Amino acid sequence: MFGKPKRNKIDLRDLEGVISFFGSHHAIRTEGLLKRNGIKAVLIPGPREISPNCGVALRFDWQRKGEVVSLLKEHLVHYEDVHYYPEQ
Amino acid sequence: MRLQVRAMRTIYFDNAATSWPKPKSVLRAMSDFFLRGGGNPGRSGHGRSIGAARVVVRTREQLAGMFNVRESSRIVFTKNATEALNIAIYGLAEEGKGIVTTSMEHNSVMRPLTYLRNRGYEITAIKGDGTGRVNPEAVARAVREDTNLVIVTHASNVTGTVNDIGAIGSMCRERGVSFLVDAAQTAGVIPIDVEEMKVDFLAFSGHKGLLGPQGTGGLYIGKDQLQLPLMRGGTGSLSDREEQPDFFPDRFESGTLNVVGIAGLGAGIEYVMKRGIESISGHDETILGIFIEELSGDGRFVLYGPFANIRGDGCGASACRMVQTGVLSLNIAGVSPSRVGQVLDREYAIQTRIGLHCAPSAHRTIGTFPDGTVRLSWGPFTKKGDVRHAVRALRSIADRYAELQ
Repeated sequence: MFGKPKRNKIDLRDLEGVISFFGSHHAIRTEGLLKRNGIKAVLIPGPREISPNCGVALRFDWQRKGEVVSLLKEHLVHYEDVHYYPEQ
Repeated sequence: MRLQVRAMRTIYFDNAATSWPKPKSVLRAMSDFFLRGGGNPGRSGHGRSIGAARVVVRTREQLAGMFNVRESSRIVFTKNATEALNIAIYGLAEEGKGIVTTSMEHNSVMRPLTYLRNRGYEITAIKGDGTGRVNPEAVARAVREDTNLVIVTHASNVTGTVNDIGAIGSMCRERGVSFLVDAAQTAGVIPIDVEEMKVDFLAFSGHKGLLGPQGTGGLYIGKDQLQLPLMRGGTGSLSDREEQPDFFPDRFESGTLNVVGIAGLGAGIEYVMKRGIESISGHDETILGIFIEELSGDGRFVLYGPFANIRGDGCGASACRMVQTGVLSLNIAGVSPSRVGQVLDREYAIQTRIGLHCAPSAHRTIGTFPDGTVRLSWGPFTKKGDVRHAVRALRSIADRYAELQ
């Protein structure tokens, strides 16, 4: 579960969307939810510019924003907001 | 420091206090967390922190699956069942409203309630019968217009008597009263379904039937009206604000969690789920059956509990199929429980718990106050040979002492 840091094949620059959360429980559950639905998602330190609310945020493939938002709603996920926030 | 353990093989019959041994996977999960993980969950976005948060979420979701809780964030971690019960009791007690409970409760319920009673709250304790069973209809009769909370132990830690939680839950739901269940003795041992049994708040221990390490426990919070957590503090969320978060689970989880313990608890739950709660309760029942068969015909032994109507009772719900957990309280006529316990320990290396088991009211109910009983409690790793050894030891103690009286 901890492992060595994965040399993530996913390039964060390809994941331009960020979901911000109030608490880490929900961020981690959402990571699983998106992955189970075949949507690339990576947990990142929550960018301060977006939200001070939680230490962890979730980067995802912005091109699939529509699916992501409907999954969040369908699963009653407690999230703060969905942002377009490309890697700087 | 090395623990001093006697060379003689000991037989552990005190699983109702804490289960032992634990599955090896529990130790592995804990050492794995220490050696390879080790971060603080939810505080940062680096790998160790996220890894720790994953451990916590995974265990929370395992618990949600086990208790049929729809929203896992409604389960909050505590250091034990006592803390969970205190959060619920103080968070639900309202001035001018009454609380109904039973005479079979542990001091983890009785002491907070006595504190409240001394401050003017009305507390009603329904007396169990001689076997420790509480009549759901008597609970229903005690619930009045101004009652806002009913607290019932799922199973007594003294007699193992299982209460009909489903019947009491349905009554509470109908009457609009909150229902808090103390599952310290039953989580991992008897199936619990908070939806089917209509449980609003479930307090459980992590280090007993769930086979996790000590320092773990939790509370399921099914209703929003739980007031003020006992503690406020850092949660890793809303860090720019000095007010406590109002969402689950952060509202009730201030300060760094016992993640290494929660890692072990997750492995304990995994073991229980793989082996199956039904299979564990069947094993517990088999052992109870041996004790009853061996000791009940011998007039020198006084046995307590509902074993006599095992599998009877006419209770339909799956959850009350079992009428007694893996606990047997007994006395040898004319011999004090402390003497029996001491001889069992010193001469036979059999570890039991004697006395009042932190539940004086339960002992009053079954007529064993103030001396108490000798309590044998077993678990998923207890072998039939251990039981036969304990039976032989008890018989020989009776041979030596019972006739002297």
